[in-house]
Formats: sequence, structure tokens, C-alpha cells
Amino acid sequence: MGCKMSTTDSVKKLQPHWWRKTLAGGAGGFALALLIVGLFAWYGPGGIRAADKVQFNMWMITPLWMLIFSLTYLFRTGWRALLFMLVVNTVGWSVFLMLRGDLPA
Amino acid sequence: MKISSDILRVYKSLHTWVGITSGLLLFIGFYAGALTMFKQPLDRWAAAPLVQLSAADSQQLDSLINEVLQQHPSARQDITVYLKQDESISAPLRWEVHDKQDEHGHGIDLDAQAWHAGFNALGEPVSEPVKQSLLGDLIDQLHRTAGIPGHVGDEQLGILILGVAGLLYALALISGLIILLPTLVKDFFLLRAGKNKKRFWLDAHNVIGITSLPFHLIIAFTVVVFAFHDVFYGTLAKTVYAEVPMFGSRGGAPAVQYDLTELAPVADVIHQVKQAAPAFEVTQLRYMGLEGPRPLIRASIYNPDYLVHGPVTAYTGVHPYTGEVVMKNMIPGEGSDWSGIVMHFFALHFGSFGGDPVRWMYFLLGLSGAFLFYSGNLLWVESRRKKQKRDQPLPQQTRSVRWMAAATVGVCLGCIAAVSAAIAGAKLGHWLSAADINGFYLQVYYGIFFGAVVWAFWRGAARAAVHLLRLCALTTLLIPLSTLAGWLWPPSAIWAHMSVPTLMVDVTALVAGAVFWWAAERAKRRMVTATRDSIWSLQTA
Repeated sequence: MGCKMSTTDSVKKLQPHWWRKTLAGGAGGFALALLIVGLFAWYGPGGIRAADKVQFNMWMITPLWMLIFSLTYLFRTGWRALLFMLVVNTVGWSVFLMLRGDLPA
Repeated sequence: MKISSDILRVYKSLHTWVGITSGLLLFIGFYAGALTMFKQPLDRWAAAPLVQLSAADSQQLDSLINEVLQQHPSARQDITVYLKQDESISAPLRWEVHDKQDEHGHGIDLDAQAWHAGFNALGEPVSEPVKQSLLGDLIDQLHRTAGIPGHVGDEQLGILILGVAGLLYALALISGLIILLPTLVKDFFLLRAGKNKKRFWLDAHNVIGITSLPFHLIIAFTVVVFAFHDVFYGTLAKTVYAEVPMFGSRGGAPAVQYDLTELAPVADVIHQVKQAAPAFEVTQLRYMGLEGPRPLIRASIYNPDYLVHGPVTAYTGVHPYTGEVVMKNMIPGEGSDWSGIVMHFFALHFGSFGGDPVRWMYFLLGLSGAFLFYSGNLLWVESRRKKQKRDQPLPQQTRSVRWMAAATVGVCLGCIAAVSAAIAGAKLGHWLSAADINGFYLQVYYGIFFGAVVWAFWRGAARAAVHLLRLCALTTLLIPLSTLAGWLWPPSAIWAHMSVPTLMVDVTALVAGAVFWWAAERAKRRMVTATRDSIWSLQTA
């Protein structure tokens, strides 16, 4: 992936790259929205067992997803968008799973 | 506000493409959705008069419920007690008998046989099958599926497709906002009705989009959740909650087997609900699963001053045998902060707060949303058409421009005409003695809708716009005309209800019909006066 970055990086203008950015915003954006909701569910007010909070958490996925998805097109290239989502999700989900105790810290 | 031209260019393309792919579906969703604001008045308008059965008091009601439950096993699954009656509710008890076991309970079972029960004028208990019009439910179904039939597993295909359209629509809203930001202050509320028709349509598109943006964001957001909540809950369970139960424990108490004769008296149930929710009026009690492990009465409670969970009423649950209120947290103001916030999302989609003024506001917002998609498509067409150059022959418009114009006119105007015809079909179908009125609605709707689309492609957008606007006017005017016919000519067996909500259906249709006729006249004039290279000109069409 790194070598492809260097070729597209030289282009200064914002590139449309519809398919890559849509994949980044659709799939990566969804995973990121879910991660934010997950952190909020466990470590936000009330914690994971607060009554009825699961409904609110479920509802919050969509607005976060919509916001992230629509802003993904601001990445200069499609590869950058994909790389960003990949890194942020990998790091974020690892931290989340570690915090939750599913992964060795 | 300054935004680089790069960003504007990318977001303009994004806005165009997500708009054009979801616009026609969303038009149908919004138009039908606007009508569902007045689902109850429409159902009352469409209800053929039946001999009204009643119950004098709650003791009579108790004995009637007992008798019906003994004699009709299907009523034990699901039966509704109506504490208020109107034209569409002919008796205090109503239930349905389903031929096939509908396991998931999604969608409408058009083959179900409705029954009602009550006391006749002589005070005798009567249980009988009734023909029931599902007009309101079918319009609601059109709203939720855009008329796309079929299922994927347990889900309705149309709902999933509209869920995807809702996501595209969200992208369209945010990208639309971004491309408007640089000129927002300058152009806001500016409607340039000059020679440049495109400028006028663009101004109208922008001003409606911006002023109703909060409404549109709420609708886009809730549509996606309504379509995919099962998927979202499933994903949350797997990835976020893991071993933690999402909905608490369901209570390990062993199911107690009750006998149907041990039902709590209706008066007790109402009393308990009123104790728990003193500000509300109890309007319906729906008894569900009386012989199952979790019997429940879902009580509909009404007070327009509150923001509520349902399209009209709030709900709470009552145990049918003990009379204990079991879902207190669903009563507005009684739940946790979390459920209170979530209730707002439902209410903001349904417009179920503030009573009739808010319903009218939502009706108009729904129609203006439909206009947003219609105008968006026409702007797409307008910015892509080839213009005639000075002293050059008339250019041939591309196929995509001609087809998109035809599809927009056919789908949008076809949907309007088809819905109006189906509504009027409630009375005309009865007059024509249609055996199955709900099947008749569907034939009328799909017949006119597809007819209009075919017509638009065959005759071209310019001519079809005039024809279909006239069709919209005629079918919409049929609504008050059918009432008038019934009133003037009783032998027709067409009814003319005189209650205010049903008369408002006639008045609204009369106004809408006049507007469509005016629009048809404008479109006809435009066909001749439009510049020759316009997609709306006869020369091009």
C-alpha cells in the first residue's frame, strides 16, 4: 500500500476516487462509528449495564456513520482514506478490546 | 465562508450522484409519508358505514371479551378493545383470523379476515366477520417500501432499499450543505424568478433544503435506523456487548398458566393505567398472546401535549391477568434518561407531538421534501441538456437527459395520481362492488403508477407532464366528488361522512386537485413558450 501512496501523493489536488473513498467511508466509517459507540457504551455515562442505554447506543451508530462517511471525501486521495480507516480502526479496536479485557494488555 | 474549489467540485459531484440515485424512491417515501400524517382521517373517510355495535359499560365489555375468547381461538392471540369508536371503528372488539401463520409479523396480511364484536341495538351480543379497508395501512406500507414488494429473509425488501436510499440521502444532505456554505449568506431566501428558470429552481431547491434541513437530517437518520436496527443490534451484540446481555435478564420467574376466565376486568386495567399515567387518556387495549408465556395488554395512551413513542399515542403494558402495569418506563416522562432521548427520535420521525398543528406542519414538510427530490432531478436534467447555439440547428438531447426527465415526471406524478385514485377507490370500489377492496386499492395504485411511467417514456417528458398533471388533478378531485355523489344520490350506496376530520380529507383533496390543474395549465403553456432547446418544449419532446 505504501508504494501506491507515494504515486498518488504527488497529486496536490483533491481527487474524487469515488470507489475507494466510498469503501473507506462505508465500511471503515461504519467500523469507526461502532468503535465510538462501543467506547461510549462501556466507558461513557452509566457504563455498559445502564438500563435502556443499549437503545441509545444502537441509535447513535447511524449519525456517527453518516457524519464520518460524508467527511471521508475530504481525504486528498482514496488510498489515504482507506489507510486512515485501516490504521484508526486497527489501533482503536485493539485498544477497546484490551480495555475490555478480551486481549492481553 | 470560503471553501476551496476542489472540495466544492468533489462534493457537488457527490451531491449530484447520491441525489439522482435515491431521489425518485425518496419522492414516493415522502409523498406517502406526508399522507400518513392523516392516516386516521383517511381511514375514517374510506370506511364503509357498518351497523355500529357497542358496549354500554365495562361489565358488558368483560362478558363480551370472555365470550369472544371462548369461541374464537385466534382472538386469544391478538384482539383489540377500542374504548373510542368512529367511522372506521365499528365495534368495541376487533380481531383478525389469518390463513397462514405469519411468523415474523412484518407487513400486512391482505388475506386476513377481520371480525368485530359488540352489542346490537337490541342489546344482543353479536360477533361477525367484517370487510375492512386497509387504506391507511397500505399508504403507510407505500411510505415505508416505496411500493417495492418482496422479502429478504424476515425483512421487507422495500424497507431495506429505502434504508440504503436513506443513507445516500444523508450524504446528499451533508454534501448539499457543504456546497451551499460559501454562498449561503448571500443567496439565502433569494428567489430569483427571472428569465433564468434554472436559477429559480435552484433557489427554490436551496431555500427549501436549508430551511427544512433539521427535519431532513432527522428523517434520513431515523430511516436508516428503522431499516437496519436488527442488523445494528446484532452487530452491537457481537462486537461491543459480547458476554453482557443487551436487554437485561428477561426475568427467570416460571410462566404461570392462567385461565382465560381469570382476565382482569377492563375497568381495573383502565384504572391501573390511569394511576400510572394520570395525564393520559386510554384509547385502546390490545390483548396479545393470552395463552402464551408472556401475555400482555398493550395500552394506547393519548395526550397531544406530550411527545410520544408511537405515531399517535404513547404505549404502556399491563399484565392481562393481574392487571399490573408492567412497562411503566414507556410512559412519557417515566422512563430512564436514555429511553427518553430515544423516544424523541421516534416522535421526531412520526411528528407525534403537539397534536394537529404539528401534523399539518409535518404534512407540509413531507410535501416540501418530495418537492426537493423532484426539483433536484429536474435540475440534473437542466444542467445536462444541450443548448442551441446561435444560428445552429436544434441539438439532439442525449438519451440520459430525455429518460431522466421522463422517469422523474412519470414516477413522481404517477405516484401522486395513483395514490389519489386509490383513495377515491375506497368509495368507487364499493360502488363497483369490488369483492376485495384492499386488492382493488393495489390494482388501482400499481395500474396507474406503471401506466404513468410508461406514458412518460412513450410521449416524452414535456407532453406527459401536462397529461399526468391533469390526471393528478382528476384523480384527486375524484375524492371530494365521490363524497358529493354519495351525498346527492343516496341510492349509489356511496357514503358521505360528515365528521370534521373526514370532511377535511375532501377539502384538502379539493385544494390539491385545483393546484394540480393550475400546474397542468402552466406546463401546457410552457410547452409552447419554452425556448426551443428546452426539454419541456414541444420541439424537443
